[in-house]
Amino acid sequence: MHWSELAIELTLMPLVAFVVGLAMVLMMRKIAARLQRRVGPPLLQPLYDIVKLYGKRTQTSHGMLHEIGIVMAVGGYVAAETLLPVPGMNGIAEKGGMITLLYLTMIPSLGLALGVGQCANPNGSIGISRALTAMLAYDIPLVIVIAGVAIHFGTTNLVDVIAQQQAGGIATWGAVQMPLLAIAGLFALQGMLGKQPFEIYVAPAEIATGPMVEMGGKFLGGLFVMQCFQLYTASVLYVTLFLGGGENWIAFLAKAFAVLVIPMSIAFLFPRYRTEDMITMLWKWPVVLGLIGLAFVGS
Amino acid sequence: MTDTEQFPVRVEQPDRNGGNIFSRVFDELTAFCRSRSLFILHYCTGCGAIELPPAMTSRFDMERLGISPMVSPRQADILLITGYVSVKTLKRVMLTYEQMGSPKYVIGICSCTVNGGMYWQSYATAKKLNDYMPVDLYIAGCMPRPEAVITGLRQLMDKIAAGEANGWEDYYRRYDYYLGHQQRLFGETWQTPTDVIAEARHYGLFGPETLGDHTRLLEQHQAPLEALEMQLGLGAPDEVKA
Repeated sequence: MHWSELAIELTLMPLVAFVVGLAMVLMMRKIAARLQRRVGPPLLQPLYDIVKLYGKRTQTSHGMLHEIGIVMAVGGYVAAETLLPVPGMNGIAEKGGMITLLYLTMIPSLGLALGVGQCANPNGSIGISRALTAMLAYDIPLVIVIAGVAIHFGTTNLVDVIAQQQAGGIATWGAVQMPLLAIAGLFALQGMLGKQPFEIYVAPAEIATGPMVEMGGKFLGGLFVMQCFQLYTASVLYVTLFLGGGENWIAFLAKAFAVLVIPMSIAFLFPRYRTEDMITMLWKWPVVLGLIGLAFVGS
Repeated sequence: MTDTEQFPVRVEQPDRNGGNIFSRVFDELTAFCRSRSLFILHYCTGCGAIELPPAMTSRFDMERLGISPMVSPRQADILLITGYVSVKTLKRVMLTYEQMGSPKYVIGICSCTVNGGMYWQSYATAKKLNDYMPVDLYIAGCMPRPEAVITGLRQLMDKIAAGEANGWEDYYRRYDYYLGHQQRLFGETWQTPTDVIAEARHYGLFGPETLGDHTRLLEQHQAPLEALEMQLGLGAPDEVKA
């Protein structure tokens, strides 16, 4: 591939991810509103929020690490988008693969931990310690699921995984071949998005939104941007592993949004668990399901 | 808080009489987005709080106007104060207000914030909220119904979109006036962690009425903030062991 084509793809992929992510945030808020019998926010509300936050006159910075932390949080996801193949664009996905992607999706939490640490707010510290604990909790089932998929398809290359699923049709989709792993993956997805019942680190009524408590203006704006990327990354990863990626953009977006409806619909019907309950739950059921699923992989 | 003297800070002043066409378009876009996305911080120690849940939930649904509740002063745009504020709670209101990021707006709900309401004769309540901080909007009533709250918020949105809701600038321009009323209520030794005068200079809002008799009094009493001593447990070390 010529370098200019690659440069265009590497620029377009995060931009597309951001725009789709904005729509996903809107969908999340609309689902919440409809479940609570409200009208919900207008079409461009996520964009208004971000523009307003970047346009605040006061930008309270707590130091250099605070600012770098936000850049890491957004940058980790921007890097992850270039490893996620979308229809027509592969970026550097062939050189990366699942393991690099898994590693990159952890960077935002670590960046946030650095940034929040400098704010020196007790609520923020509690929040970020909970966020890292949550990461520990959902990473065990996630690693099992990703290992299972890699063993089944005989590769960690996401482009190959998609090609194999699309060549064989629906019968070769990950979700059909490995239903137990797909269910375990849904648990991990819920934890990865940090939605109720696993919303332990935001917890507005308990620890005042945890990591976000000292963030105002552009810092909170950066986290809103991060949320767009987070929703996109999680759902596209699931679509790639289990639902055969996208043959074209329409099918791709339909699958990505449909996957997100599941955790969103669960999220706004439940309160949240305590930290230890979340770990117990995530280390028990999805891990057992995932291990049984792993036993059937390849047979 | 960033020390504004250590870093060279250049503040762009919005040019209201024209200027570059791109910056004007951008300013209008920002003003529009500000009016359509408002995060509210509730300060509800008075009785009007009971009218807010219906305004937020399914019956009246504030979110369709882009208004949503937030929990920390750093994140919020609107400080919404319902009902009477006693002298003790007003101190907390002032601390909260000064931590919020500008542009910030204050809404006083219920008659008690307007003129003391039924607590007019009480020795323990602050009567007029706009003596202590600039209030952008009052919603009168005892208590105002959710329709009135929503109507008030829509009026504030219109004011913000037109660039008229600039109460926060008044706090910096006439800090001496507001500080005087605060000192009258809280005593001469009253001080907050925020250096309002330095912030006024930072925003380019330092005016002839920023300094005065009351700020001179503040300078006499002002002590630098010291971190609290780190301590585990609530009592003395011996009690913790037992």
